[in-house]
Amino acid sequence: MSKIRVEGLKYRYPDMDSLVLDDLSFEVEKGAFIGIVGENTAGKSTLCYALTGLVPHFFKGAYGGNVLIDNIDVKQSEISDVTSKAGLVFDQPFSQMTGSKTTVYEEIAFGLENSGVEREEMRIRIDNSLRLMDIEHLQNKNPYDLSGGQMQRVAIASVLAMKPDVIVLDEPTSQLDPQGSDEVFQVIAKLAESGITIIMAEHKLEKLAEYASKILLLHKGKQIAYGSPKEVFSRDDILEYGIAPPVYVRIAKALKLKNKAGFYPITLDGLKQQWNVGDE
Amino acid sequence: MKSKGIWSLNFSTIVIALIPIAVAINYLGKVIIETLKLPLWLDSIGTVISSMLAGPLIGAFTGLINNIIYGFTLSPISFVYAITSVVIGLGVGVMAHKGWIASISKAIVIGLVVGLLAAIVSTPLNIMFWEGTTGNVWGDAFYLYLESIGMPQWVASFGDSVVVDVPDKVITVVIGYLIYQSLPKNLIRLFNNNNEIEKL
Amino acid sequence: MEPIHSYTDKKSYIDQIDPISKLLFAFVSIFITYLFSSIPITCFVLLISIVLLMVGRVLRKIVPLLAISFTLLLSIIIVQGLTHPTNEMPLLTLGTIVFYQEGLTFALLITLRVFNMLAAFGVLILTTKPDDLMESLMKQGMSPKISYVFLSVFQLIPQMRATLGKITDAQRSRGMETEGSLMIRIKAFFPLLGPAVLSSLNMTKERAIALEVRGFSSKGKKTFISEEKSYFYPKFVRCGLIILLIAAIVWRIVG
Repeated sequence: MSKIRVEGLKYRYPDMDSLVLDDLSFEVEKGAFIGIVGENTAGKSTLCYALTGLVPHFFKGAYGGNVLIDNIDVKQSEISDVTSKAGLVFDQPFSQMTGSKTTVYEEIAFGLENSGVEREEMRIRIDNSLRLMDIEHLQNKNPYDLSGGQMQRVAIASVLAMKPDVIVLDEPTSQLDPQGSDEVFQVIAKLAESGITIIMAEHKLEKLAEYASKILLLHKGKQIAYGSPKEVFSRDDILEYGIAPPVYVRIAKALKLKNKAGFYPITLDGLKQQWNVGDE
Repeated sequence: MKSKGIWSLNFSTIVIALIPIAVAINYLGKVIIETLKLPLWLDSIGTVISSMLAGPLIGAFTGLINNIIYGFTLSPISFVYAITSVVIGLGVGVMAHKGWIASISKAIVIGLVVGLLAAIVSTPLNIMFWEGTTGNVWGDAFYLYLESIGMPQWVASFGDSVVVDVPDKVITVVIGYLIYQSLPKNLIRLFNNNNEIEKL
Repeated sequence: MEPIHSYTDKKSYIDQIDPISKLLFAFVSIFITYLFSSIPITCFVLLISIVLLMVGRVLRKIVPLLAISFTLLLSIIIVQGLTHPTNEMPLLTLGTIVFYQEGLTFALLITLRVFNMLAAFGVLILTTKPDDLMESLMKQGMSPKISYVFLSVFQLIPQMRATLGKITDAQRSRGMETEGSLMIRIKAFFPLLGPAVLSSLNMTKERAIALEVRGFSSKGKKTFISEEKSYFYPKFVRCGLIILLIAAIVWRIVG
């Protein structure tokens, strides 16, 4: 049974003329890591909102089709019920700090307080989140005194503490410097190992190639492809959709290094392997 | 129970996110004016923007919270003028939602009206708490002048307030209008209570 | 980043009084000074506030507050001394300007009332952590959403000041002048205000999304991560203050 089922999803923001999401249908297995790729107007963020209930409940607008998380229909549910099942982390570290708490520890507690979790359970969950995100040493600091990468990890920790089944990340490193970016990708790798279902919209395709089990390619709101990273990134028409494939693919293409199934390697190791195979 | 229309008092999440930012904008106005040493209060820009976005009741509430917070952090004297802030929020909110703030010249007129309203509300407060003065140098000088030509106390106090509040509110409403006009549509849209989820 | 509230933890007896009692005290104290037009009574009430501030070890912090009200008080003294309706007996003459006794006496009363207002609220403000005040109010039924609004303003303002500082530096390096003639200063206003306001308003949508994601709209019962604070017999103190208030009102009507 899939964790998430999207069936014929269509969406238009209020007062706008055109659909931002146009007939999307795909399924996500429990524990999978799905990457969403596409150029800036493709609808990646809107899809992230749709998977977490913000579309339609926060943004209103015109909505068609279904998004089912564990068979619960997003459009029929209360927004807080959806956000407790599917948490969202987005690109602005600063805005994701609530601002009403003076320590990282209490900041992570915020979502748990809203959800009525008992204090003992809160403490356990906060400690777990701090550990998983490598931010235990920051727990008494004021959230606003942190670096971008640290704030982003606090944001992820805060969402994780609510124990969602799915975590959706919308370009979590686009506003960070290279060090912050690395810090965040490291904890995302840990998340991937923990077995939680992850959906991540990203431009840094090399990173997605490392973790994702499937890639969803969007263009102007339409679903172009949904398949393994090798399949999707090896497409010859990929540049038409406004994205450049991972650098290893581009090198392999230039060297004409396809593998037996007709796909290009998407990681450095894959490239090395192909290169050696080609040598024989 | 959500109410619609101009008098909706809907503490939705977007409204709750707006109010602290509006109060901080009020504060920014004050800080900039003090740094530049210009002779105005200019501490209601955020309240005005809040009323334009979310309606008169939320604007009034923003004004109230604003003065309560100033009272706790700057000076308890701000508590007294909470009523004035509420009236400013109400006034701008009602007129904005009736569509009357549609150009700079109209904004100036609205500013005049709101300034007068603020003066009318502040006068009894000033008289009750400190016999009519406002603490503003120009206003109090005008108070002295009016008293010296034989005007009764309430006239002097009203004159004091008008001289200070009317220019200040005219400029505030005009600035609020200009800023509102330059906000992205996808932000303004979020405050529209009439949006429903349509079926596709 | 230093938050803007004035609370410091002095661990005094006053800290152990619950915030709502302190709030009640401020109202009762101010009400009494306005109930009676009497300088001795106002002095007495002011003295109580000052004693409480001393016990709370925060007396020195009230001085900046008084300084802020300086212009208000000075103008009151001058204006009332010159022009109060009951002015009859001259007290001080500077050339053609005459200050009358009645007006100056009245000005003294008002000044004492304002000092008391600052001191009485000072007891609340300087000895209460904002989080604790919010917690007490929520126990009385205030919505957690309002608590959020308050607490987030306390942190948001220092952040905005910092952003404003950066914008000011950036604009200055582009040649904007902030000192000089009135015209120059007026011209400086917009390049400072505009970016600061727009950047903070743009944050509203994202902040709201972040709050939704953390269950802000959830309708169930809320819990609290911090332990509930215990105070010194709150019901006793509050009843005492209310009885005092009623007694004062009765005395005014009767006496």
